[in-house]
Amino acid sequence: MPEWKSEILRRLASLNLAPAREVEIADELAQHLEDRYQELLSRGETPESAERAALDELRGEDLLARSLRPVERSFYREPIAPGRATGNFFSDVPQDIRYAFRILRKTPVITAIALLSLALGVGANTAIFSLIDAVMLRMLPVQNPEQLALIKFRSPASAHLRQSATNPIWEQVRDHQDAFSGVFAWSPETFDLAHGGEVNNIHGIYASGSYFTTLGVRPATGRLMAASDDVRNCAGVAVLSYGFWQERYAGAQSAIGSTIRLNGHSFPIVGVAEGSFFGTEIGVPLDVAIPICAEGILDGKNSMLDDRSSWWLEMMGRLKTGMTVEQADARMKVISPQLFGAVVPQDWPAKYQDVFRKYTFAILNGDTGTGGIYGLREQYTRPLEILMFVVGLVLLIACANIASLLLARSAARQKEIAVRLSLGASRGRLIRQVLTESVVLSSAGAILGILVARWGSSLMVRYVSTQQSQVFLDLQMDGRVLGFTIGIAVLCGLLFGILPALRGTRVDAMSAMKEGQAQAAGGRSHSSAVRWIVGVQVALSLVLLIGTGLFISTFANLMTLDAGFDPNNVLMAETNIHNAQIPDAARASLYGQMLAKLQAIPGVVSASQCWVTPLSGRQWDNSVTVPGRPLPAGVEPDTFLNWVTEGYFETMRTPLLEGRTFEARDSATSMPVVIVNQLLARRYFGSQSPIGEHLLVGSGGTLTLRMLRQPMEIIGVVQNSKYSSLDEDFMPEAYFPLSQIQQNVAENTAFEIRTAMTPGALIPALRDAMGSVNNLASLQFTTLRQEAGDTVAQEHLLAVLSGFFGGLALLLTAIGLYGVMAYVVTLRTHEIGIRLALGAQRSSILLLVMRDAAIVLVVGIAAGLLGSIWITRLVKGLLFGLTPNDPVTMGLAIAAMATVALAATYIPAQRAIRVDPMIALRYE
Amino acid sequence: MLILSLIEARPRHGYEISKLIEQRSGGAVRFHVASLYPLLYRLERRGWIQGRWVEKNGQRRRRYYRLTRHGRRVLAAQLRGWREFVAGINRITEVENA
Repeated sequence: MPEWKSEILRRLASLNLAPAREVEIADELAQHLEDRYQELLSRGETPESAERAALDELRGEDLLARSLRPVERSFYREPIAPGRATGNFFSDVPQDIRYAFRILRKTPVITAIALLSLALGVGANTAIFSLIDAVMLRMLPVQNPEQLALIKFRSPASAHLRQSATNPIWEQVRDHQDAFSGVFAWSPETFDLAHGGEVNNIHGIYASGSYFTTLGVRPATGRLMAASDDVRNCAGVAVLSYGFWQERYAGAQSAIGSTIRLNGHSFPIVGVAEGSFFGTEIGVPLDVAIPICAEGILDGKNSMLDDRSSWWLEMMGRLKTGMTVEQADARMKVISPQLFGAVVPQDWPAKYQDVFRKYTFAILNGDTGTGGIYGLREQYTRPLEILMFVVGLVLLIACANIASLLLARSAARQKEIAVRLSLGASRGRLIRQVLTESVVLSSAGAILGILVARWGSSLMVRYVSTQQSQVFLDLQMDGRVLGFTIGIAVLCGLLFGILPALRGTRVDAMSAMKEGQAQAAGGRSHSSAVRWIVGVQVALSLVLLIGTGLFISTFANLMTLDAGFDPNNVLMAETNIHNAQIPDAARASLYGQMLAKLQAIPGVVSASQCWVTPLSGRQWDNSVTVPGRPLPAGVEPDTFLNWVTEGYFETMRTPLLEGRTFEARDSATSMPVVIVNQLLARRYFGSQSPIGEHLLVGSGGTLTLRMLRQPMEIIGVVQNSKYSSLDEDFMPEAYFPLSQIQQNVAENTAFEIRTAMTPGALIPALRDAMGSVNNLASLQFTTLRQEAGDTVAQEHLLAVLSGFFGGLALLLTAIGLYGVMAYVVTLRTHEIGIRLALGAQRSSILLLVMRDAAIVLVVGIAAGLLGSIWITRLVKGLLFGLTPNDPVTMGLAIAAMATVALAATYIPAQRAIRVDPMIALRYE
Repeated sequence: MLILSLIEARPRHGYEISKLIEQRSGGAVRFHVASLYPLLYRLERRGWIQGRWVEKNGQRRRRYYRLTRHGRRVLAAQLRGWREFVAGINRITEVENA
């Protein structure tokens, strides 16, 4: 049979076609000529003439080439050898990206694992960062927030800034300052929408008439407050926030002109603030604003408007154009003596009055001023920093994971890379190609991460919100968050791409193409790099695990510690009888009736009343002295006080250690008595019994008690209990009986009800019982367990989140280890096959493979341990009941790490010993 | 148009196409390899036809060409044009002969 193909190829040569295309054309044409030849032969022609006739079809030497040229030239472009320099940087980018997509699609499992790791890593980082952004970085959404400055003041004796001002001080500033184009003051307050019965609290502020105008907030509808709304003896107006208007009034225009009832008093609604405005306090929701003067309406004779020692207002000013904070500060300091001199508290001792006259204003800006007031910032800066660090580590681990996966894949791609290098690709160009793949991967991960973050950050806000203090944060994705995400995505792409890119492209083209030992050698150098990465991962994960362990133990310690009372099955009913307008003298008997009703409810084991609910954050303290027993120098005489009813210690299950508790015989006419806690007893009496001894409570404070003027007999000692928060130290405490208090009985108190069943089930019965005594008393129910949980919300957040991230890190590390071991086993299949063929025991093969992993593990754990010893010092302040180097936590973390790591290596190792020597050898 | 109509009913390979053209035209129209295949490739590049290697039992691998959807539309338009042209010519020649 004649050689058609060579005839055709000769004629095609001048076209310089791509080899594949050339072969294809030659195949097809040769087939045609063969068909023709066979046909001619079957007609009886001689082979020679048939061959001539067939070749005649090609019509001379150059016709074929000439007629194909115009067709083929534009048809088949030269295939691009990716990596070949084309001289134009930007024109290559789309090609690189296309190629990257193709490569990523080719290895769907690796791509999926990488994307998942990235989505979680980037998502966690973005979520935490958006919280940091909202809490710490963002400015108030008002006109020119950089012009705003906080107006504070300090006493000459102390470096500390006073938090809040009295209304007289504010009025002085308002009327006499000349450093600001406008000043305003406000005070956060919760208002009760209900009039008696269970409370329906909303978040409001008392705002000066200049509040909205100075901030530059516009009304969404109606009008905002004006200076004329905030004058003494005003009738009061209310301005709603946009969110509240939408939520409660469905954005109805008819809301304007209607009234809103706050703490039992109706205020006309004059307008709604624009949607972007959420108040001057970050993290605190704002529902309604009423003028400062309205405090006089709501608080009546207890009004703080003229009180020179009620500190309740925050002040802010807008700097005059061209005025710097320093100039304003200097200006305010000049007028300080005049302003403070005018409002000296007359009831203070002369010594303190002199100090007051020397108060000076201090103007603050920067992140302290322009972003508003930050209770939240102070509380959450440290935890957020820690979480940022934690999620940063998680991201690093995820990157390490992806790097080792890509590195393993780049070993598999060695031949491809070698081919490209030999086709003229430059190494730099190839590195760029591989890096493009990583960046494409990380960008896709970032997009998924943003979705994860949106969900994650709102979840976190819900976590830090407690019943007492709801947290409201504007979590809009702003440019900064987006920039941050893009930044870490690109950084990640480079981070996990650079090693595979450098390693993967360092290929000796010749030897790589000659499979066999060359690949094994390349693989070995790869696997050593991968081992490094996994070692780092193990170290980082261990640091995280130890941190996680510390935070979880801290939270567990707090939740299980002996708080001095039993918080289970105790319902708290916080009660305010202000609306009922009960005269001072009649309050104690009203409380008595309420308590009797409560105790009669079936299911109530015991009930009592107190003024300072434990863990509520309320505080009443004063100095205590015991005649003849001076305190050692340096010990503060400050003691935390409370008044309680008879059954208080039984209800709270606070053990009585000595003496007796309050009884019916402790009446207004009997000898004043007091019960102290262990700490106070030990402080004054050492190991002696304090029963029968007397103590004196120093004068002052907002409550004046008859008995505060005279010595009180100590009748009992109770166990220490937590006063305002679970994570504080025990304080010296003293308890008085309500029955001996005659004046200034508080309107807001709390009833404790120990129940035999789930506390919540009793709420309706309790509400009815209280309402039957006085239906104007407002009530708020919570459980003591809930209150206890709220005081450790921060620890809870850290425990939950670090637990989640610690687990995530462990999982990522396990995936990494598994992938690497599986890869190493695959590389060594041949070797293992030979060993088995030569009679090696399977157990020794298992050891061989596991030893590899064990070395990585041991080195990683050692490094992680050192790292964590160094790093956990920084979180010392956030721990409770254990030291940063808690050996138990460290031991458990190491055990968890080792278990997971060994499990992750065991599976591939098992596969190694199941290698069939025959197959492994034939594999060659 | 000739090629398109030949593969309208079913896919055919190059040799088959050239034989059919030769047979149906009674030897009047003949394509050589050097002209047929460049033409096929050109049609393929335009997206009117599509070639595919097919291996049938007991036969060697051949490239079969089939009409694409686009090609089908082109063929219909061409046939319409051709018929109009032929009709026009006929009308002219009939008038002359009458």
